[in-house]
Amino acid sequence: MKEQSTVSTTFRIISLTLIVIGATSFLAGLFSDSQRTWANYLIVNYYFLSLAMGAAFFYTLQSISQSGWSSAFKRIPEAMMAYIPFAAVLFLLLYFGMHDIYHWTHSEAVASDQVLQHKSAYLNTPFFILRMVICFALWVLFTWLLRKTSLQEDHAGPDNIMVLFNKSELYSKVFIFIFAITFSFSAFDWIMSIDAHWYSTLFALKNVVAAFLHGVSIITLIVFILFRRGYFPFLNKYHLHDFSRYIFMLSIVWGYFWFAQFMIIWYGNIPEETVYYYVRWQEGWKVLFFLEIGLNWALPFLILLPVKTSRNIKVITVVILFLIIGQYIDLFVQIVPGTTGLLRFGWIEAGMLLGFAGLFALIVATALSKAKLIPPGHPYLEESLNHKF
Amino acid sequence: MNKAFKIGIFENEEKFISSIKSLQEKHFSIYDVYTPYPIHEVFHLLKRKSRLPTAAYFFGLFAIIAVLAFLYYTSVLDWPIVYGGKPFNSFPSFIVVTIVLTIFTVTIASLAAFSARSGLYPGKENTIFDHRSTDDKFVIVVNTDTLDNLESGKLVTLMQEEGAVEVLDKEYESINA
Repeated sequence: MKEQSTVSTTFRIISLTLIVIGATSFLAGLFSDSQRTWANYLIVNYYFLSLAMGAAFFYTLQSISQSGWSSAFKRIPEAMMAYIPFAAVLFLLLYFGMHDIYHWTHSEAVASDQVLQHKSAYLNTPFFILRMVICFALWVLFTWLLRKTSLQEDHAGPDNIMVLFNKSELYSKVFIFIFAITFSFSAFDWIMSIDAHWYSTLFALKNVVAAFLHGVSIITLIVFILFRRGYFPFLNKYHLHDFSRYIFMLSIVWGYFWFAQFMIIWYGNIPEETVYYYVRWQEGWKVLFFLEIGLNWALPFLILLPVKTSRNIKVITVVILFLIIGQYIDLFVQIVPGTTGLLRFGWIEAGMLLGFAGLFALIVATALSKAKLIPPGHPYLEESLNHKF
Repeated sequence: MNKAFKIGIFENEEKFISSIKSLQEKHFSIYDVYTPYPIHEVFHLLKRKSRLPTAAYFFGLFAIIAVLAFLYYTSVLDWPIVYGGKPFNSFPSFIVVTIVLTIFTVTIASLAAFSARSGLYPGKENTIFDHRSTDDKFVIVVNTDTLDNLESGKLVTLMQEEGAVEVLDKEYESINA
């Protein structure tokens, strides 16, 4: 059994090329169409942050529930959490694009708008940046603590292993509350405030679940990629079933919140609220609107319903690919109508998506290669290696 | 003629499962097993198959169609009323009712199907081989009618070797199971 993964030179060259493509299309986009570029910057930035945060949420849940089955795979969410500090830097750069994305940053718009004046105590640039800094500081701190404890476990003796185990559980318990509150605020701030007049209390919950769902799918995908390369030789149908049950369950929860938000607004039929969906039901957007619920809920639900398909590595991979596209469409539909309103997927969008994907892949792969892939010190490792139910 | 049984009582799951395996290796046919909680592995070991999930799937499909048809009939065909400017066939508002009624229908129909298939009805008196199986013990029941004394002896020794805390000998006139 190979103990540690490596980052091959080819992988590094490919991801660096992707990063260069992304940076070039970002810079070129800034000069040709700055609003479109910044809106797209927010989409891809939030996209990969949500994957990392979803992984962090998965990790904390595993520690809190003291679950054994996932303990051999815990390096993967850990590696994905390593992206959060980089996302922090990238998100702070959003300061320069705020004027292009957020309507409420225009002082002349606020002056003639009572609703925005009323909200200006919360929606103003300094407080926005302050909230962003606080959120990222807490996330970076706790994911760093979790990672540190986990690495210490590798070298721990039998007497202090339970101390470390309990410590990471404690950190997880604190972090899960912080996560719920701060990530809700971030979803409100970064995405919902684009449509500054509109609000939905379910919005944050829906986005937290979306992050969790897509984070888990990427964890599963990385497990499969590593399995193909000869790591995790003990991966059996029960592990597969547990992963696909996570995806199955979360896609139902996501669909539930998506529908709850939609139905309440549809049924209430208040113009201030329905305008959000009215824009998204115009020609062209309507296709994406239904594609979103189809890819994120209907297809995973129907495909993973039978036991046989939920234990098949190829079927789960296809579902994960649907979800990867689904999350992008979800964010596109949430962000673009309020900024440029242009339904266009061109070289700016594609280039930046590739660039961020390259960055994410490089960071995750590097973080993975820095520690033993299967944590030797985890008290429940044996249960995970011989998992069955 | 009375039916004779050897009843092995086990204290934990591991000993119970390994005992089932070695009984099957020696070609003793197991009459039935009783456990305090469901164990998937036993299900596979005894080569039992259940079509209940498939049945539940079709109950669900039936329920979705039936409930939507019912809602369509009541609110569009039979007694159309305009609620808050909504169309008669206001599909999104049907969804919640459909989910709830589907869960209800599947639950009741599965219970009925399960009871019918396994011959259960209210007030039925089952033969309980050992009352401790309803508490915390694992029980293996083997019919010894076709076995001679030597083989029965082997059976008892085998179960005791596998860690049975007790092996009982019981005879019943008839079995309600």
